[in-house]
Amino acid sequence: MRAHPGNGRPQARRRNPLLSVAAGVGAIVMVATACGGSGSDDDGVVELRFAWWGADDRHSTTQEVIDLFEAENPDIEIVPDYTDWAGYWDRLATSTAADDAPDIMTQEERYLREYGDRGALLDLNEVGEQLDLSQIDPLVAESGDLDGQTYGVATGVNAYAILADPQAFEEAGVEMPDDSTWSWDDYVDISAEISEATDGELVGVQSMSYNESGFQIFARQHGENLYNEDGSLGFSKETLEEWFSVTQELLDNGGQPSAAESVEIEAGGPDQSVLSTSQGAMAHFWTNQLGGISESAGSDIELLRYPGETTNERTGMYFKPAMFYSVSAGTEHPEEAARFVDFLLNSNEAAELILADRGLPANVDVREHILGSLPEADARSAEFLSEIEDTIVDGNPPPPIGAGEVVNITKRVSEEMAFGDLTPAEAAEQFMSEVETATNGS
Amino acid sequence: MSALLQRRPPKDPQNTAAPKPGTRAGKRPAQGRKRRENLAAYGFLTPWFLGLVFITAGPLLASLYFSFTDYSLIGDHNWVGLENYERMLSDERLFSALKVTFVYVFVSVPLQLALALALAMVLDRGVRGLPLYRSVYYLPSLLGGSVAIAILWRQVFGANGLINQFLAFFGIQGEGWVSHPDYALGTLIVLNVWTFGAPMVIFLAGLRQIPAMYYEAAAVDGASPLRRFWNITVPMLTPIIFFNLVLQFINAFQTFTQAFIVSGGTGGPSDSTLFYTLYLYQRGFGAFDMGYASAMAWLLLMIIGGFTAVNFFASKYWVFYGD
Repeated sequence: MRAHPGNGRPQARRRNPLLSVAAGVGAIVMVATACGGSGSDDDGVVELRFAWWGADDRHSTTQEVIDLFEAENPDIEIVPDYTDWAGYWDRLATSTAADDAPDIMTQEERYLREYGDRGALLDLNEVGEQLDLSQIDPLVAESGDLDGQTYGVATGVNAYAILADPQAFEEAGVEMPDDSTWSWDDYVDISAEISEATDGELVGVQSMSYNESGFQIFARQHGENLYNEDGSLGFSKETLEEWFSVTQELLDNGGQPSAAESVEIEAGGPDQSVLSTSQGAMAHFWTNQLGGISESAGSDIELLRYPGETTNERTGMYFKPAMFYSVSAGTEHPEEAARFVDFLLNSNEAAELILADRGLPANVDVREHILGSLPEADARSAEFLSEIEDTIVDGNPPPPIGAGEVVNITKRVSEEMAFGDLTPAEAAEQFMSEVETATNGS
Repeated sequence: MSALLQRRPPKDPQNTAAPKPGTRAGKRPAQGRKRRENLAAYGFLTPWFLGLVFITAGPLLASLYFSFTDYSLIGDHNWVGLENYERMLSDERLFSALKVTFVYVFVSVPLQLALALALAMVLDRGVRGLPLYRSVYYLPSLLGGSVAIAILWRQVFGANGLINQFLAFFGIQGEGWVSHPDYALGTLIVLNVWTFGAPMVIFLAGLRQIPAMYYEAAAVDGASPLRRFWNITVPMLTPIIFFNLVLQFINAFQTFTQAFIVSGGTGGPSDSTLFYTLYLYQRGFGAFDMGYASAMAWLLLMIIGGFTAVNFFASKYWVFYGD
């Protein structure tokens, strides 16, 4: 606290002034040395920082992979630098701005261009000698390319799908839908039925409007897409309004949690999903999250195709690169960094540890190698991916710069609609204008 | 801020904080000693001074410069003149952030100060174990801005939190307070009011400065307790009230941590806890719009500066310095 009147303290006794100067100087030295940099040690060992996001189990397996790599490559030391998803991007942005970006990092589709376009990422073609990209699944091989440069290489393959808990369906006495024929109307009806049959004990489905990836499928089913090749909005207002109307219907008929409940569920991440806490029958997630959610739920969650895949104009589901490995443009040791990425990507031993945590491995040989040893849930998602592969029409153009912000816009607009501040039509309008600003603004 | 209080030393001569020139060090063999004392003072001040230049003034000026550029945090930037400031005029979220912040400041600060004064007066009546109470009440001020408390708040006011369990005891089904746009800001206001300890300690010190003889004289004249409060305590305390007001205003305008943690960094639900600083942070670090964020920072500085200036101007009419 600040001094305040009349604290009545007697004056401090005089001390040796030199001593206090020394104390002051000492403090400065302490501060200054704390800012010391890292880099390569004297003994010829190159030190590299590897940044990733995730939950605890990913941190421990990644550390095991690092240990393995270091044992095989005694000339390189990998310093782990991990955090959760939300904190990751703040941290990466600030450290990149401070010219202190991690040498190797995991990236995501919506942010890759943001960094690549501003010259913060290394063109991986430059280190082609150390990094072999020949075995990458052609479906995602070029997903990290931008204007002829490769800013990231896909870690694995993913699809956005519906996760369903058969136990919850049984409890409600509702039959599991046939995902090769179900429509969006079925989806609404079934969800409402579950909530009703269990008297609200179980909720039909977790709100889907919090993630624009689901809308992307919906738009594709209507022959549209979230973004066009040139980065502009690729869908019509009617389609988006229809999408929001599905959620509105579920809010009205009780098929999904109330607005306030949804806010809490979303804040908790996958661990707090209605499936993980056994409070609901369905939720929308990425296939690589099946393992984690099955584990928290303690039951065998199943994967379902999106509704409307066969009843709409065309199929909308797609494969997405789960994440990317990228190398900082500012790294002092691009070749060593590339060797580590090569290890993460192409080594069977690394894959045996990582398994399907970063998506089903992008390297097709490696994928083949671990397929047999996948835990049950991951094996199911691998099977699911191969089942839907034939129905997938095409890939998505890379999201425009600013797409990272769309995550928050989606969330906000959904909330405002759920709390009754916006109608589906108004929500569609607001979403479009905000996304347009976000993706053209920078 | 503390200069403000020292400008007029309190009446009580025994408790004069700053010695008047000449009372102590002014006597003879003092010249050399004085220089040495100055040297010592500068020695102690050096870390602070370096901090001021490198950690405060440097970034401050840099942000002024960046506010006229399209700086994106990564890569190059170009001079764009007043564009960032012009964009603010049509930014709806900026206005909603201002609204949230103003509501927060103008509701929570008066409540907090009223509570602080009330408790200070209770404690001033000579409670046994005063140091203990003082510490206990002061504790939230130390913790209030911390991440841990914000997380705790989220739990306490959550759908299955302490508050709702308490309400359930009476058969009331409570809301998820932090997840409802009508109540989320309220929980943060309560959090700020709860940190009344810091102004309370200052009020307590101020109350002790009021000479008892005024009260005695008033009591002899038959003044009621309420009358004594309005005509002695309040006027004598106005400098302290003013000090607390200015300080808490400035603090409240810059609230960030609590809103960030309670809303998970989103300012939600539906932007109901989108504080100005939180929006600034989102622009700068989420949307890579650091030029705009810098301009926002300067607008905030001007707003706070403006309010503080008004505060100081108005103080001429209501603050009583006893002369």
